[in-house]
Amino acid sequence: MKIIVCMKQVPAAATASIDPLTKTIVRTGRNAVTNPFDLYALQTALDIKEGVGGTLTAITMGIPAAQKVLRDAISRGADDGAILSDRAFAGADTLATSYAISLGIEKLGGADLVVCGKMAVDGDTAQIGPELAQHLGISHVSDVTEILEMAEDHLVVRRVWDDIDQELYLPLPALITVAKGVNLPKLPTIPGMLRGRVAEIPTFTAEDLGADIARCGLKGSPTQVVRTFTPPVRGEAQEIEGNETQQAAKLAQIIREVLHGED
Amino acid sequence: MDLIRKLVSADEEYLRDESKKVGFAETISFPENHEQVREIMAQLYKDGTSVTVQGSRTGLASAAVPFGGHILNTSRMDKVLGMREKDGHFYITVQPGVILQKLNKAIAARAFDTSAWDEASQAAFEAFGKAPVQMFTPDPTESTAAIGGMVACNASGAKSYHYGATRGHIQALRGVLANGESICIKRGEIFAKGLDLALTTEEGNTINVKLPTYKMPNCKNASGYYCAPDMDAIDLMIGSDGTLAVLTEIEISLLPVPALSWGVSTFFEAESQAAKYTKLAKQIANGIVAIEYFDACALDILRKQKAENTAFAGLPFLPESYGCAVYTELHCDNEDQAYELLESLSKYCTQAGGNPEMTWVATSDSDRDMLHFFRHAVPESVNMQVERTKRTYPEVTKVGGDLAVPDEYFEELLKIYDTTLEEEGLLHAAWGHIGDNHIHVNILPRDMDEYSRGKALLAKWAGEVSRMGGAVSAEHGVGKLKAPFLEVMYGKEHISEMAALKAVFDPKCMLGRGNLFAPQEEVKA
Ligand SMILES: Cc1cc2nc3c(=O)[nH]c(=O)nc-3n(C[C@H](O)[C@H](O)[C@H](O)COP(=O)(O)OP(=O)(O)OC[C@H]3O[C@@H](n4cnc5c(N)ncnc54)[C@H](O)[C@@H]3O)c2cc1C
Repeated sequence: MKIIVCMKQVPAAATASIDPLTKTIVRTGRNAVTNPFDLYALQTALDIKEGVGGTLTAITMGIPAAQKVLRDAISRGADDGAILSDRAFAGADTLATSYAISLGIEKLGGADLVVCGKMAVDGDTAQIGPELAQHLGISHVSDVTEILEMAEDHLVVRRVWDDIDQELYLPLPALITVAKGVNLPKLPTIPGMLRGRVAEIPTFTAEDLGADIARCGLKGSPTQVVRTFTPPVRGEAQEIEGNETQQAAKLAQIIREVLHGED
Repeated sequence: MDLIRKLVSADEEYLRDESKKVGFAETISFPENHEQVREIMAQLYKDGTSVTVQGSRTGLASAAVPFGGHILNTSRMDKVLGMREKDGHFYITVQPGVILQKLNKAIAARAFDTSAWDEASQAAFEAFGKAPVQMFTPDPTESTAAIGGMVACNASGAKSYHYGATRGHIQALRGVLANGESICIKRGEIFAKGLDLALTTEEGNTINVKLPTYKMPNCKNASGYYCAPDMDAIDLMIGSDGTLAVLTEIEISLLPVPALSWGVSTFFEAESQAAKYTKLAKQIANGIVAIEYFDACALDILRKQKAENTAFAGLPFLPESYGCAVYTELHCDNEDQAYELLESLSKYCTQAGGNPEMTWVATSDSDRDMLHFFRHAVPESVNMQVERTKRTYPEVTKVGGDLAVPDEYFEELLKIYDTTLEEEGLLHAAWGHIGDNHIHVNILPRDMDEYSRGKALLAKWAGEVSRMGGAVSAEHGVGKLKAPFLEVMYGKEHISEMAALKAVFDPKCMLGRGNLFAPQEEVKA
């Protein structure tokens, strides 16, 4: 099986401290780490690779220094890594990012399984995984809490959301995003660390990927952040029944209600 | 307001420490500063009342368990008093009740309440804010220890392998003697002439001390008074177990945080491989700051905990082939150095008969936290196990060794541990500072019989260690529990010398009664 795991470098919140004089955050230079959720994704990919065999490549998009997360992935057991890095990718929202990563995955020859973390802790959107699946034209399951079965051509996964507990049969190729707690990520070994350090990491630019520049970076990003806030936790979930058309209609109605308070 | 009050039933907790022994006392005080300590001591001196000084009471040798008289508890002496900078080095003056964990947090976040600091301290703090992040290196596993307690016991931890025990990080001390006089000693200012030491109190009286003639063990040591020809006077007070003075102000020194801090756990199938690996790793001159060991029983206890207790479910999975572990911590200036060390450790692992694939390397905060959790889960789990036995046999406690020996005797000591434990059939777990030839072998008695046999075994080991020129207490201090071992280690004559030294500071034998000396020795002096 050909597995690709998506990883991101994020700032480490814990290492930031406040300068007593300027009251600003002191960046110690040791403040970039692998997105914690991606370590669960990597471990999921490693477990599946161990279970059914195959290859595991880590991919990231970011500044050249972000290749550190790929070395980290290799030190933990990934076979290799590739970084997508180009000024043209700068300022990308989730749509432009997932577009670029989808091209990266195609450049690597595609994958039977793509694994992402549930979300990146710096943006908290949880959108990359589903959008990426959309770009690749494959099905996906987000927020997987357990891998129940693995085989060359399918996975059976579980996800627990509020009071919904689902068991899903997922034919491959497909993409999953995994929740914290899906496994216990293992630490690198010394030989892994030494491999990660010297590994050749190819860099792909927008041109290498044959990307449409209008769909990359800031230019390709329709998202406008107006305000960020933590939504109140309402702790309620409803299941929508019926066929696809009925479900879509019901969903549209709920959205209208939330937006406009319409009945 | 009267600083001394009667002990009431709500004060019961002050009769104990982490050794789980219970003492007795009539009065208690909670002074807030040096002046109040002076007042208290001057008052108690009139009747020669016994005084037990308390830090956080995390001690394991019953040193803070009162032996009658008065409890002087320093928990309200918890202020950071000021800061000093000299040649780019930073020094912080704290009261003795400051808790290590809180101090470390404040240092890392550079967040101190400086409102009461003088101008010089404020200026030093400004420089501190611009300097590289600093650290206080002494790291006893119990991070709720108070700085006063750490100084009194000369506490140490994993990183003492490289940075040394608390002693090396204490720059100045101020304290109150039994008679209420004050004393202030700065490192590098007062030295003994041979074995004669003269100290002057702030009141202008001179104390002439004859230092004991014993030679201290050539290994990690927290047993009895620090004594050596021409020594710095401050070293006598450090590790004096609350028997010479009440420490009231302590100046500690800081070091810059290293650029990189990595943890490496290496697992072996056999103890002999771990010992060989340690010996090889000790050849590395720079960058290794801790070498810690966890034996097979300790790892088995963790496996059991992980399986049975959800609080420990997050412990990393330990394959059965992982027999025992050696943890090393690397402090490096740059990645090149760190990777070089990894290569050396990998080579030594193979040479020792191990497999470098059986390692865990932690370079990020979350991975370091994981290894920290793993290491700390060992003593915690052992304590939980002993607590379970205690429900049936309340008098049973863990019987823990704190013995260290010079390099050349370490293998012999390990063999003695193995054979005697097997002969006695006692449940045990061992872990600790293998880099310093200092492993805590803990006997976990399952009933009263095992408890007494465990204690007898510990006494036997203390005898063996003394024969090897080792220390009966390498880091926890002698306190009351290990006073008999101190006599085995140094012999009656030297104990009398120590008692005579104490009598010069404390003629009425008030301070820390029962610590270091069995009480009758003190009375004799
Ligand atoms: C789980 C656990 C792990 C531990 N791990 C370690 C370890 O790794 N390394 C280690 O060294 N120790 C360890 N200890 C032992 C203990 O934490 C240390 O001995 C510590 O230094 C004691 O500090 P304390 O403030 O609790 O002192 P206390 O227990 O309150 O007192 C200890 C001694 O210090 C004296 N003292 C306290 N304050 C003053 C003062 N102001 N002036 C004069 N004398 C004073 C007391 O009179 C007493 O003699 C551990 C303990 C526990 C429970």
